[in-house]
Amino acid sequence: MSTTFLPCSVYHEDYTQDHAWWQTKFVRGKMILLFLLLFVVIPPFADAYVMSVCNQIGYTILGALGVQLLIGYCGQVTLGHAAFLAVGAYTSTLLVLEFPWPKFLLDWGLAYPISIIIAAIVAGIWSVLFGLPSAKVKGFYLILTTMAAQFVTVDFVIAQYVSKIGGRGQAFSLPPGTIKIGPWVIDSDRKVYFMMLVLVILCVIGLANLLRSRAGRAWVAIRDNDISAEVMGINVVKYKLLAFFVAGFIGGIAGAFWISNLAAISYEHFPWFWSLWLVGVILIGGVGSIHGAIFGAIFMVVVMEGLQLAVMPLADTYPKLLIYFLFIKEAAFGLAICAFLIFEPNGLAYRWWQIKNYFNLWPFSY
Amino acid sequence: MNVRNLWFKRFVPLFAMGILVVGLFATAGAETINVGSLNDMTGATSDVGKDYALGIAEAIHYVTDNGGVNGKEIKLYQFDYGYRVPEALTKYNLFKRLKCVAVLGWGTGDTEALSPTITKDKMPYVSASYSGHLANPQKTPYNLFFATDYSTNARAAITAWFDKKWPAHKDYGKRKPRFACSYMFASPYCSAPIKAIKDQATILGFEIGPDQDVSLFAIDTKSQILALKEFKPDLVWHGNTTMSVAATVRDAYSLGLGAGHIVNNWGYDENLPRLAGEAAEGVMGAAVCAFFGEDVPLMDKVVEYAKKYNPGIPPEKRLIRTVQAWGDVLILWEALKRADKAGDLGGESILKNGFETFENFDIHLGAPPVTYTSTDHRVAGQVPIYEWKDGAFRLVERVDLKGRWPDKWANEWLGW
Repeated sequence: MSTTFLPCSVYHEDYTQDHAWWQTKFVRGKMILLFLLLFVVIPPFADAYVMSVCNQIGYTILGALGVQLLIGYCGQVTLGHAAFLAVGAYTSTLLVLEFPWPKFLLDWGLAYPISIIIAAIVAGIWSVLFGLPSAKVKGFYLILTTMAAQFVTVDFVIAQYVSKIGGRGQAFSLPPGTIKIGPWVIDSDRKVYFMMLVLVILCVIGLANLLRSRAGRAWVAIRDNDISAEVMGINVVKYKLLAFFVAGFIGGIAGAFWISNLAAISYEHFPWFWSLWLVGVILIGGVGSIHGAIFGAIFMVVVMEGLQLAVMPLADTYPKLLIYFLFIKEAAFGLAICAFLIFEPNGLAYRWWQIKNYFNLWPFSY
Repeated sequence: MNVRNLWFKRFVPLFAMGILVVGLFATAGAETINVGSLNDMTGATSDVGKDYALGIAEAIHYVTDNGGVNGKEIKLYQFDYGYRVPEALTKYNLFKRLKCVAVLGWGTGDTEALSPTITKDKMPYVSASYSGHLANPQKTPYNLFFATDYSTNARAAITAWFDKKWPAHKDYGKRKPRFACSYMFASPYCSAPIKAIKDQATILGFEIGPDQDVSLFAIDTKSQILALKEFKPDLVWHGNTTMSVAATVRDAYSLGLGAGHIVNNWGYDENLPRLAGEAAEGVMGAAVCAFFGEDVPLMDKVVEYAKKYNPGIPPEKRLIRTVQAWGDVLILWEALKRADKAGDLGGESILKNGFETFENFDIHLGAPPVTYTSTDHRVAGQVPIYEWKDGAFRLVERVDLKGRWPDKWANEWLGW
């Protein structure tokens, strides 16, 4: 996707301006309004349901960002990303519950924040292990190796071994009050929401900066043509593995974040379908765009919820509609992907880019 | 403007706005009692979840046709969450927004993930997860179910085999019976009653062999059966769901294990003999209620409503899961009626004035009468144990655990 055009009569005079994230006053104002909306306006007025929908969107965004990096920016198709979310979730949970933290760290409420960072690193390294085959294979073969990540990690390592640590033999229980950051105990949807916002913003900023660095350019070169990239002197294997690490790292953050929303964690929370779902999110949102991961997550969660809500009033007139609709929702997921691939293969992000450019170039959009 | 642009610029925004507007104004009616239902019709447990979900809807129709809750209609909000926990959490909050007074839940995943939340919200959560860990009201006061819990089922099943089958064994009186467990170690549902059944095996004087780890999705279990053959068990406990239990029983039959089989509730239904064939002969299990179509009180209504509201599914394809769904709806219905009569339909009142006033409340359907107290949410100490024999499920024994081990029942066995 091309860069956004600047509005008429706006010119850059130095590189600082040229590299600024928010290049005009209008954009700065828009982003400040967005921040105000997210942090100040929504929380007081939203009920627990809206909060939990937002949290689900945030969790989906965090999951999809890694998939976007691998598929959209580096061309490495993955169908096993839920495994890295699971690694992050279990690492963080084990650290919080089992690790002998020094007392002062527990008192200061630092166990969970530190566990998030470690979980992200562990998930990143685990992701690199399953990225190793990408040095030799690509396309459909790579899909199969990434699928192996799901089966090896979740169905074998976690289900058979990790879930038995501490003699539990089943789900890890996270009693209320376990998850806290400093004195701030995360025990409500609203608190989870704030944490989600911060993590999503940090991950988006981090990934966006990475994408315009040397590594980001190397990933895009590999995606566009790996042989050409190698000819240009890019160490293809190194950058592919770096992409897997960063994707796993963000996936680990997603998993570690998600435990704050749960009372118990089980391997059943990370089914293979979730990996497929995340790929669907970026296909609908737009492949090769961070906006795509965000728009895709919003679309998938909000539209699915909206469809269900929309059916409810009709169910009074057609009592069977509600129960039959249950099947339709899954079909809608497949249908949405097909519709986007046919009618808008560039996804929602492309449409957003067009809208922005239309207004930026107005009245000389021709 | 080409057709594609027209489609996107006009139809899509209108459609999306329509959905959101209708969705945002979707609120509950004032004269009804709202109940939420989380079901899995498309996810990992949909093989049994579909039948259960249909049963929930049919049972609610029955409740409505029979006067609802003291004249008030129950409005059911039934959602498929596809066994995806993130969705379960969202749906639960939606139920709260819709002012649902109780939730009919589904599996271990959603039940465990939501347990502290429903306790905090005082939301009665009647689920299909019958883990013994949920039966202690000191820890999980708002988790309820109509059936005997997994641990009680397991104790009853091994006791029934010990009472009825072991005396007929050629080695009876010469040695201890040998016992082993086959289940998916990591699954919360499968592993829930293992400690209890081994405790019961010790009480009854079994020699306990090594457990065998069998995946819930297993279709070949020969290696586990060969490992079992070294121990030569007389009895094997199967803690998985029907599909993998059928595979294990079939492999045990073909490899000549020569042991008896007892099965937990979610592995014991009408599909077991269909999948395992003649290997299913003699397999015993805890059914928690009568099988679909069995000749017990109220079953005529279950069959009638199944035919009426889902005529496309032949009755011979329906499962005991429908009956289980009716069981959960019927106890909730009674609790709501009692709470409503007491003048308060809040969560605490539904628990205190409803469920915890049940004393041998008979829901029929072949299930034991239900009793809840403020200190014990195990519904009954009596469990019907069935055997698949000569092409039908036959009642072997109603094992009265509470009567036979009253001290242990009262003081030791609660909550695990």
